Amino acid sequence: MSAHWEDVVIGERKELGSYTFTEDAIIRFASKYDPQPFHVDPGAAARSPFGGIIASGWHTAAIWMKLAVESRTFGPHEAASGISPGFEDLRWLKPVRPGMTLHYSTEITAKRALATRPDRGLIITRNEARDVEGAVVMSFTGKVLAPRQPQGG
Amino acid sequence: MSHPVYFEDFYAGQRFAFGHYEVTKNDIFEFAREFDPQPHHLDEEAADRSLLRGLSASGWQAGAIAMRLCAEHLLNKAKAAGGAGVEECRWLKPVRPGDVLRIEVEILQVTPHPHRPVGFVKMLWILFNQREQVTRIVTTPIIHRRGHP
Repeated sequence: MSAHWEDVVIGERKELGSYTFTEDAIIRFASKYDPQPFHVDPGAAARSPFGGIIASGWHTAAIWMKLAVESRTFGPHEAASGISPGFEDLRWLKPVRPGMTLHYSTEITAKRALATRPDRGLIITRNEARDVEGAVVMSFTGKVLAPRQPQGG
Repeated sequence: MSHPVYFEDFYAGQRFAFGHYEVTKNDIFEFAREFDPQPHHLDEEAADRSLLRGLSASGWQAGAIAMRLCAEHLLNKAKAAGGAGVEECRWLKPVRPGDVLRIEVEILQVTPHPHRPVGFVKMLWILFNQREQVTRIVTTPIIHRRGHP
């Protein structure tokens, strides 16, 4: 149980679970947040370089968040600890098509104390989604601010 | 303002501003239930006690709204053919219920493909609420078709 920044171990890896993208879910997400023809219109998508509907990359990434929260990756004090200043190097490496199942994971790659925030520490993560053949479909570097152990005195 | 259509219509330093997106409490709950069910996005009392002091949208929702505004006002009017990612996304301020969001886009870099009739357009997207910047996104280069292959 990683309640505090001090308890988080570099190299610790967690499988977050899997998710199957249906055409309905892909179109529903994209209609609201990424209405480009190859995400929302099967006919236009078939004529596009992708050859069919593909999921918005933001959808693929949002499912990582869903699975990370559901598996309580951020520890028991979620209301206080699941705060992130952002992410870097998000890559959409392969198109995600209807019916595809992706397996998501997270790994702690670094920790940094913050000079400006003695009550919080930064955790850097490497996050991935892989297809059933094991190829990386999406990856990004995440950042989370975790509470630090209260200092005595 | 004429909209860029082909890759050749973009140049580094070019700027666009558009969008009017009202974020309701219900939008925040709906996104959070499906994609980011942390208490500070779902429960007003828990949100008041959290680090962000009040209900706020998932950062992924802020990014998705920026995507929405760019797709609707820029990419779908041009010959855009997909992007490969995001170099950096910074969540500067929380997005709150009642916020009205708009976006400013700056073209950072244009690179023609050496062989194919396409080019790559790297962009900075800055999402604002009615007061200040809330999210900054640097995209990886987005593919656009050339008008003159």
